[in-house]
Amino acid sequence: MSFVIEVKDLKKSFGSFKVLDGVSLSISPGESYVVIGGSGTGKSVLVKCILGLLDYDGGSIKIDGKEVNKIPAKEMAQTLLKCGVLYQGGALFDSLNVIDNVSFGLVYGYGVPIKEAYKTAIEKLYAVNLDERIIKAYPAELSGGMKKRVALARAIATNPDIIFFDEPTTGLDPITSGTINELIVKCTKEMGISALSITHDINSLKHISDRVGLLHKGKIIWEGENSELTSTDDPFVRQFITGSPVGPFTTEGL
Amino acid sequence: MNFLIFLEKIGEMFISFLTAIGKLSIFLVKVLRFGTTPPYYWRQIAGHAIQIGYFSLPVVGMTAIFTGMALTLQCSSGFSNFTAESAIPAVVMLAMTRELGPVLAALMVAGRLGASMAAEIGTMRVTEQIDALTTLSVNSYRYLVFPRILTGVVLMPFLVFIDDAIGILGGYIVGVYYLGYNSANYIHNTFVTMTAWDVISGLIKGSVFGFMICLMGCYHGYNSEGGAEGVGRSTTNSVVAASILILIFDCILTFVLF
Repeated sequence: MSFVIEVKDLKKSFGSFKVLDGVSLSISPGESYVVIGGSGTGKSVLVKCILGLLDYDGGSIKIDGKEVNKIPAKEMAQTLLKCGVLYQGGALFDSLNVIDNVSFGLVYGYGVPIKEAYKTAIEKLYAVNLDERIIKAYPAELSGGMKKRVALARAIATNPDIIFFDEPTTGLDPITSGTINELIVKCTKEMGISALSITHDINSLKHISDRVGLLHKGKIIWEGENSELTSTDDPFVRQFITGSPVGPFTTEGL
Repeated sequence: MNFLIFLEKIGEMFISFLTAIGKLSIFLVKVLRFGTTPPYYWRQIAGHAIQIGYFSLPVVGMTAIFTGMALTLQCSSGFSNFTAESAIPAVVMLAMTRELGPVLAALMVAGRLGASMAAEIGTMRVTEQIDALTTLSVNSYRYLVFPRILTGVVLMPFLVFIDDAIGILGGYIVGVYYLGYNSANYIHNTFVTMTAWDVISGLIKGSVFGFMICLMGCYHGYNSEGGAEGVGRSTTNSVVAASILILIFDCILTFVLF
């Protein structure tokens, strides 16, 4: 079976601190995989390694069957064009307005003429429940939820094959979180995009995941379907889902 | 034992110094490698050109005019002891074109632009905007760093030239309207000793200083870590490093050029 992303025995340390100690996971085309885990367990590091933003110490990461750390720089840029990323804080470019942010990848990555890129950007803004009224606004003038939606519009503007969501609902109110979750499901299911998300938000997890992996102490210690989340006997998953202060995470530490 | 600890500290400092030089060299090689190959971001280059060449003019001009004025006053009180007042215009011209013009303009630009570059790029680093650039398939060295360094190298000589002119004008204003020198004589004495090399050497210095300022601003900003505090640290480090390098290279270039 071919996987869009295949990670095997991934290892990454910062100095003597082992962050990832043999992580393995795979994502099929059109699948939404969510990595959960406590703060500081290396979820963001995992995504950054997959995207080639961080070098890894051992193991293997393949995107579309190509080993990430062996892809030449030019080819990596092409590979990244197939990836959309929604960063935790949005990572919108402060010096650019909304329309320039959303069309950025099209203009500078694909070389699409600016007028055509703007047209696509407006379509994508509509897709995330925004409209032309905000196109001239700068990121500093937007609310947290709007920033996330603009960032999502930017992530899907290039029609990627894979999207990475880094804590997409962190810091948002429940209603805006719900909207973002709906948009993520819409993007992945309607557009057939594969997704790798990392989150702490249990509602979001239940809503957007097909498959879930629990990252703890540098390893995926549990993996299962969305439907197994509530039925599993795994004490780590149960504590994480219920948010109970008593359980193995408390005993072992996050 | 104490001597061994002392040696160990010296060794650590030396290794840290070499590491910093190595990191800076790798950074510079990447900037040149990616920046000199297409695509070229002309819009970015134009934006930074306006920032450096146009918005720095007021601060550079203010510094120059008051420096020229003060220099003329100082020369007047000193030179009058030797009845050498006629040398004042030439001394002001030489000081401004060869030394004060490039150094003061560079220090002002380091404070204004070097700091803003470090802060802007540093903020982009800690808020993952640089990662976002990479994942949007845009090379951050090509898009963020090279346009800044290029405009610094090209436009600093322009600022230095303006600085020279305004500084000399400041000297003229004080000399003629406060000290009462004859206007025609003052102008004649200013330009009679001036050579093209006096001006060109200052412009060369300006170009080198522009490179240092932008390299330090971009390098420290690009390597920022640790949130707002880290950005603040990078900003300070960029201004301090640029200022020290300006003074060191001013001395080296003066040896080389004269």
